[in-house]
Amino acid sequence: MDKLSTQRLPPLKRNWWLKHRFFKLYMLREATVLPLVFFTLCLLAGMVALLQGADSWQGWIVFMGSPIVLLLNLLALAASLFHAATFFVLFPRVMPIRIAGHSLPDQAIVAGQWAGVVAVALLFFWLFGRA
Amino acid sequence: MNTEQINAKNVSTKHISVKRYMPDSSAEPYWQQYELPVDDSTSLLDALNHIKEQLDSTLSYRWSCRMAICGSCGVMVNGIPKLGCKTFLRDYEGEIRIEPLSHFPVQRDLVVDMAIFLEHLAAVKPYLIDDNPVKPYDPQAPETYQQSPEQLARYKQFANCINCGLCYSACPQFGLNPEFLGPAALTLAHRYNLDSRDHGKKQRMAELNRHEGVWSCTFVGFCSKVCPKHVDPAAAVNQGKVEAAKHTLIALFKG
Amino acid sequence: MMDKLAMNKPSMGKNSTQHKQAFDEPLWWGLFSAGGVCFAVFLPAVILFIAVLLPLGLLPAEALSYERASTLLFSVPGFLFVGAVVCLPLFHAAHRLRHGMFDISVGNDALNKKLMYGGAALLSIVALGLVVAGMLG
Repeated sequence: MDKLSTQRLPPLKRNWWLKHRFFKLYMLREATVLPLVFFTLCLLAGMVALLQGADSWQGWIVFMGSPIVLLLNLLALAASLFHAATFFVLFPRVMPIRIAGHSLPDQAIVAGQWAGVVAVALLFFWLFGRA
Repeated sequence: MNTEQINAKNVSTKHISVKRYMPDSSAEPYWQQYELPVDDSTSLLDALNHIKEQLDSTLSYRWSCRMAICGSCGVMVNGIPKLGCKTFLRDYEGEIRIEPLSHFPVQRDLVVDMAIFLEHLAAVKPYLIDDNPVKPYDPQAPETYQQSPEQLARYKQFANCINCGLCYSACPQFGLNPEFLGPAALTLAHRYNLDSRDHGKKQRMAELNRHEGVWSCTFVGFCSKVCPKHVDPAAAVNQGKVEAAKHTLIALFKG
Repeated sequence: MMDKLAMNKPSMGKNSTQHKQAFDEPLWWGLFSAGGVCFAVFLPAVILFIAVLLPLGLLPAEALSYERASTLLFSVPGFLFVGAVVCLPLFHAAHRLRHGMFDISVGNDALNKKLMYGGAALLSIVALGLVVAGMLG
């Protein structure tokens, strides 16, 4: 027995996550950062354009409207919502909140976080949605 | 058992494929199919026992209690780690493929070498450590350990682990790096860290706050899905990250 | 022979590399978690308004005109906005990319760590620097 305890298997092959639906969903969750990075780079370009002047700002808005950019950013929007759905349920498990000796139900914490998403969207509507 | 009783419980014939490995006769593992009568109450462990007793006495596997408490009969069922005694063949249509637990070296048939799992468990000192500097141990002291129901509730869920190792077979991070302490060991460490009677947190933190400790976990979460005792090891490991972060902050300020 | 093997067991060998404390990991994990909250709570609205509704012309004309966008971004709230919407999510992405690369066995972790977190830090400094430049300009 003692001799066998040094035995180590070779590590998993890089396609391990293709073998089970659960692992594919995990990889999808991890991949939500790819369109996020694309949007962030767009945003950085927009900030540079804003610094350069009114013409480049208009040019940036036109660039953002080009079909491929728009499509990738729609993907980023979907990714942010999928990320939210997977991230919010982890929160009560990582940091269970106890108030006066009683733990807050998980659903309440998840619902609270979605309320935050709606609140931010309403704030944006108040800032930009009205004429 | 009489035939009428069996008939009343939906008796049928099922095929089970078992991944065999017999290092003394063949260097390579191979699949072997068995055909056996099952009814609604047949567990996978019952089926393996039937094979061993009636069909093929060369089959090797581990088992003991038959009631999901000893944690010895873990195997892969169609690629998912399960306890044989808690898995019922009535829930499976079509092919049933039985393999030894993933990520562990196979010794023979369904028997794996769990030494590395035991090493990782031992590394986190999973027992009460009572070297309280404030209140040293006194054999003359009249009071025993006291713990309120609230103090018990803090760690109780994490104390239900039966060391079956299913979570290690479910964890890709352990599969990618066997030095990762893994779900059960980190959960047990957290269980003792949360125990009001324990004073060993500092010693355990030295193990937890390593790259191979809590920081190799990426919250895949499959360990909690397969856990037969609903311990939720993924939650414990990630609560351990919060504790390790606090431990680091304290260490930084104390210098 | 048996003894020699036993000596090589990782849990037996109390060498320093085995018990090296990962004092940097709490920082990366903290930034990852904070960035994850920002990505989930702020980014849906930010992407919807700035990357979808704005280029499609579905916002009122003055909502993000050059003047209004400059006033909003080149300010203290704009600085905080960039921190929450660009910098923290970048560290979140860096952490997931680093672990994702380990998951699919790409590169080596020590180098990936430097590249990913270094990249996130660099882009964060550029982003915050742009806001400061706009405030001074």
